[in-house]
Amino acid sequence: MDPGVALLFQIQPSIGTPIYRQIIDQVQRLVASGTLKPGDELPSIRDMARTFEVNQMTISKAYSLLEARGVLVRKRGKPMSIARTSPRPTSSEQRLDLLRPALMEAVKHARQLAITNDELLEELTKLLEADNAR
Amino acid sequence: MHAEVLSISGMKKAFGSNIVLDSVDLSLSQGTILGLVGRNGAGKSTLIKCALGLLHADEGEALIFGETCRQLSPKTKHRIGYVPQVFTGLGWMTVADLLKYTQPFYDHWNDAKVDTLVKDWGLDPHARVSTISEGEKQKLAIIQAMGHEPELFIFDEPVASLDPVARRTFIRELIELNVNDGRSMLFSTHITSDLERVAADVALLRNGVIEFDGGLEMLKDQVVRLHISSSNGLPEELNIPGAIRRTINESHAVVTVRNFNADLLAALEASLGADIRVEQLNLEEIFLELNR
Repeated sequence: MDPGVALLFQIQPSIGTPIYRQIIDQVQRLVASGTLKPGDELPSIRDMARTFEVNQMTISKAYSLLEARGVLVRKRGKPMSIARTSPRPTSSEQRLDLLRPALMEAVKHARQLAITNDELLEELTKLLEADNAR
Repeated sequence: MHAEVLSISGMKKAFGSNIVLDSVDLSLSQGTILGLVGRNGAGKSTLIKCALGLLHADEGEALIFGETCRQLSPKTKHRIGYVPQVFTGLGWMTVADLLKYTQPFYDHWNDAKVDTLVKDWGLDPHARVSTISEGEKQKLAIIQAMGHEPELFIFDEPVASLDPVARRTFIRELIELNVNDGRSMLFSTHITSDLERVAADVALLRNGVIEFDGGLEMLKDQVVRLHISSSNGLPEELNIPGAIRRTINESHAVVTVRNFNADLLAALEASLGADIRVEQLNLEEIFLELNR
């Protein structure tokens, strides 16, 4: 296994979104962007449980559902890997569709806080620049 | 699928006229971690003590590895590690003495493991038990229950006096024991953030009754807060199945439901002609909503 793969995930156990759904969403995003390609192996259930200090059944549930959706494939004695039949990297428009709910949420928060459009755009630009600089 | 390591059925317990457990059914399969959540006085400790046979239930039964809790054989007792809520170690002993004293009660004892834990958790082996802090006593009680490498752990509020660093070390240890050795655990607490990591299943105990028993992730899928808004206005009688709490004004409603799914969302959107945002709740919020 490439130890770097686990680093692609961000698991937050104490938010409302169940952990298995966080994993499913993140695998799907990483596949949509082409970061994870067909044949790439995911960390084993045990390694994921240890790395993120969460219950292994939760990881197992996420992997099983991703397998059922055809995103992951299980090979005997090997870690789960991205299926050949998994969706190809999608157009940026399709990827934006996946991001839109998160952006909508930020827009709603900005409205409640009476932050203007310009202020919001400026802040977002700053954040993007800071992230590029990392 | 898995064998049941603990199975409680129809358990009742009253102290005088105060009914503490009212027909509780609960089971734990091999290799699973079950979190038992409830307010102070909900009956968590009583349930654990009755399940272990330390208290006599008025009615009902608990089986541990298939044996009745009222008459556990020494062999079965050796397969259990219990950490009570209140540490009752012998205060005049040192930490090292107490652990050495515990060892002969068991057929098997992992000295190396115990030494490592004492070191990792920063306990002074030469300190007298009566002089160490509550948090350190709790760590000692946990180590004391781990030395004989039991298959079933029963923890009653194990982390209440631990600081965040010690709690995380403890959680890591539990995950390791579960992942590596398939150990089963029952873990009572009101610190929900620890359970969100470690437990796959939760049981919510309220006034002596199990309110929910199932997957933690399923609970998070099912108990959500709906923010409903409609420019046409909402009906005064907003009847939503499974609603446990609601706040309504003319065009906006906030409703917590306990049986959410995609069908319910679609049906509500269609019948109300409303825009609905689904807010997911963490375990603490769910716990608060269900205990209102």
